[in-house]
Amino acid sequence: MRDKPYFAVVYMFVVTAFFSAILIGFARMTRGQVEANKQIALEKAIVQVFPEIEVVSNAEVHNIFTSQFKTVKSPKDEDAIFYAVYYKNDAITGYAVRVEGQGFWAPIKGFVGVAADKRTITGVAFYEQSETPGLGARIDEDEFRKQFVGKTIEDSDEPIGIVSAAQTPGDNEVHAVTGATQTSVRLEKLMNQYIRAWLDAMQNKETAP
Amino acid sequence: MSPAKSTQQIVIDGLWKENPIFRQILGICSTLAVTNVFLNTAVMCISLTLVTALSCFTVSLLRELTPRNIRMMVQTLIIAFYVIIVDLILKAYWPEMSRNLGPFVGLIITNCIIMGRCEAFAGSNPPVLSFTDGFFNGLGYSFVLLAISVVRELFGMGTLLGFDMPYFSTPYWDKWIIMVMPPGAFFVLASMIWLCRSIKSKESKS
Repeated sequence: MRDKPYFAVVYMFVVTAFFSAILIGFARMTRGQVEANKQIALEKAIVQVFPEIEVVSNAEVHNIFTSQFKTVKSPKDEDAIFYAVYYKNDAITGYAVRVEGQGFWAPIKGFVGVAADKRTITGVAFYEQSETPGLGARIDEDEFRKQFVGKTIEDSDEPIGIVSAAQTPGDNEVHAVTGATQTSVRLEKLMNQYIRAWLDAMQNKETAP
Repeated sequence: MSPAKSTQQIVIDGLWKENPIFRQILGICSTLAVTNVFLNTAVMCISLTLVTALSCFTVSLLRELTPRNIRMMVQTLIIAFYVIIVDLILKAYWPEMSRNLGPFVGLIITNCIIMGRCEAFAGSNPPVLSFTDGFFNGLGYSFVLLAISVVRELFGMGTLLGFDMPYFSTPYWDKWIIMVMPPGAFFVLASMIWLCRSIKSKESKS
């Protein structure tokens, strides 16, 4: 059997089938957990953009998310959240606008928290990013994210800005992470794109009868 | 084919004499990519050590059966198998770390140390010895990487394991941004190789 010319083909086929079967089984076993992690990461990001909410455990995040938030789906993509509305005592207290787009390596996904006045940023959080560890990935650290708190969204084509460390940031601008130019440029672009779309949707809603 | 090595020889070779980083200069891609933060490096090293050891073990188990002309395909398959398992475990039970390491876990598949060991050792030695060989080559890789990451994190960010360090975290220390960036790894790696090889050459002279 071993010296037959087709042995290599049969052998490769069998080995591949064997290892793939184990992998498929293992992936199925962990899929529930992986999905749950993704969902909780998303909910955590939404809740995090409102610093007034104090969260400790993942279970709390889930509770707050289900009781105080209502998500609005994107008109273009049924599966994607467009923004989430934050209710406190049945009154709208803020919005968590989803932002998403290509980063330096892989997509960056996150939320921008906006107060009920639809202008003041309450915070930002990212739930998916694969930027360079130690450089671009620092957009996920407090030091960078805290800069957004209290900034005002400008009603223009570039609602927010990310400027280099040498410049003084304006009312709608923050400092970029030093050494992560590409990440900053892309992040600024994707945030602006989604915030602009949300502003448009909000303005249309106001003017509609 | 080289004569059978003793376990002790394998250990010494993997850790020092034939160290994958400063002797064989293998696996440099990940050395440059993931050594800027200590914790990420540690997880990367554990993953790589496990994958190398288990891949060598499996390749060795199948060595009599595998036709020579397709052995590379089989090796890649086995390596990918273990890497995907590690990736899934991280995704399921340590999602934060999985997010930090991003694409680099998947890239373990292309780490030349693993295939190097499979080809050079596991293909012609029994399973347990191959496991030991893979494991200690992984450790040899790990200690060099961890040393590099300590230097880079301390000088570049002023922290260690994310904790503030005396002096380095104070304003007196002007953080070396280049240490966090890939070029920083080049300098530290080169210095490490220089250092380790100088010790080695002294050893062989005496």
